[in-house]
Amino acid sequence: MTRKRRRLWILVACGLGLGSATALALMAFRDTLVFFIPPSEIASKAPAVGRTFRLGGLVERGSVERVNDNGHPTARFRVTDGAGTVTVNYTGILPDLFREGQGVVALGSMAADGSFRASEVLAKHDETYMPKDVEEALKKTGHWNPDEGKPPPPASTWNTLMPKKPDTSKAGG
Amino acid sequence: MTHLPYIIAVYALGVLVPAAYSIDAWLRSRRATRRLAAIDTRRQK
Amino acid sequence: MDTTPVVTPRPPGPSQPGRSLHRFANPGRFLRISGVALPWVAIIGAVLTAIGFGAGLFLAPADWQQGDAVRMMYVHVPSAWLASGGYFGLAVCSLLSLVWRHPLADLAAAEISTVGAGFTALCLASGSIWGKPMWGAWWVWDARLTSVLVLFFLYLGHVALVRAFDDPTRGYRAGAILALIGVVNLPIIKFSVDWWNTLHQPASIGLTGAPTMHIDMFWPLAVAGFGYIFIFAAIVLTRTRSAVMERRIRGLLSARAERQT
Repeated sequence: MTRKRRRLWILVACGLGLGSATALALMAFRDTLVFFIPPSEIASKAPAVGRTFRLGGLVERGSVERVNDNGHPTARFRVTDGAGTVTVNYTGILPDLFREGQGVVALGSMAADGSFRASEVLAKHDETYMPKDVEEALKKTGHWNPDEGKPPPPASTWNTLMPKKPDTSKAGG
Repeated sequence: MTHLPYIIAVYALGVLVPAAYSIDAWLRSRRATRRLAAIDTRRQK
Repeated sequence: MDTTPVVTPRPPGPSQPGRSLHRFANPGRFLRISGVALPWVAIIGAVLTAIGFGAGLFLAPADWQQGDAVRMMYVHVPSAWLASGGYFGLAVCSLLSLVWRHPLADLAAAEISTVGAGFTALCLASGSIWGKPMWGAWWVWDARLTSVLVLFFLYLGHVALVRAFDDPTRGYRAGAILALIGVVNLPIIKFSVDWWNTLHQPASIGLTGAPTMHIDMFWPLAVAGFGYIFIFAAIVLTRTRSAVMERRIRGLLSARAERQT
């Protein structure tokens, strides 16, 4: 009994040590663990021109334009996180999910003119899983328009305990 | 259905991986049961 | 080896704590009880998984963002649950092994890691196949994907370590220590999507708050998830039963060889 107890305490002590060491290490490497930098952070401390990093945010509504860059079809759009905005130029194939209001993560570097030159664009989707007709119903009743880039209404208003016929009139409660 | 090849690939993996494990586990169990029955004179089962 | 479970050589002491405990880990009783439960666990797992997958493929609606590609979720998410959940089971077995010297826990741990590695590989592969059309990349080094890859390597490390010693007890002990060290990775996997910017989206289903998923998509996922849990349990049970029987075979053979010499 005592031996078991002792082994248990040794393990608890090891666990506490290991856990706090890991927590400290993760805190120390916090900046390098992030996958992307939001536009607002670029405004405050812009990475050096030519340094490669990932920029992440929402594609600003109405900002996507297709331009021709020396014979290469190029997409130009603005990425925003509400507090900051960066213009992105990208030549290449956009992922299926790419559209206005959608989250994106672009790999590239700042150009001299303050725009972002992307070599790769990834689409990011959020944790909202919703059938198309529910989304349309929310749109129709004016409770939510995904194009505005705002988060969807509280899940309990649509996720629903009433399958097939979502009662969106209760949304906003 | 959009993205059909991707969906088929994922479901194929999702069925094949557990199925392969199950068959392997079953064969191993059957082999062990038979060997044990042949050796173990205590229990005749 | 002996028919009785292996007792570790302990530093000399007055009592032998292993012996009395073995009554509670009686392999014969384990074989009897698990033999009765196993068919039911396997059948429930197969039926639930079939319903969940079928509903995910044909009944669940397409997603407003992802269209039909969302159907890959019904394989990916259950396998991800089991990658983490299986590791939790491995950690519990390791604790039972290290503190209480439970002899069945050693055998179960070795089987869980082998199966868990496969389900983690399935999680990574299905996620990759889902990521290509949706995100635009097979793989990214974000915190969620990287921490799950680390989980996969922990499983592989355990699989290799428990078999790396001539004396199986030393292998089990080393494996248990590795498994318990790796437990720090579980909260990192879970919270990586909340702590850091990741390409992977945060969880839709949590213990608190309503799931940000429509009920028509939620129930096939829940059914498939429970189905996978039962299948995983059935596979691990079957393998652990085999391991118990194989150990008894080895014990009987060596006892017979000893008698004959």
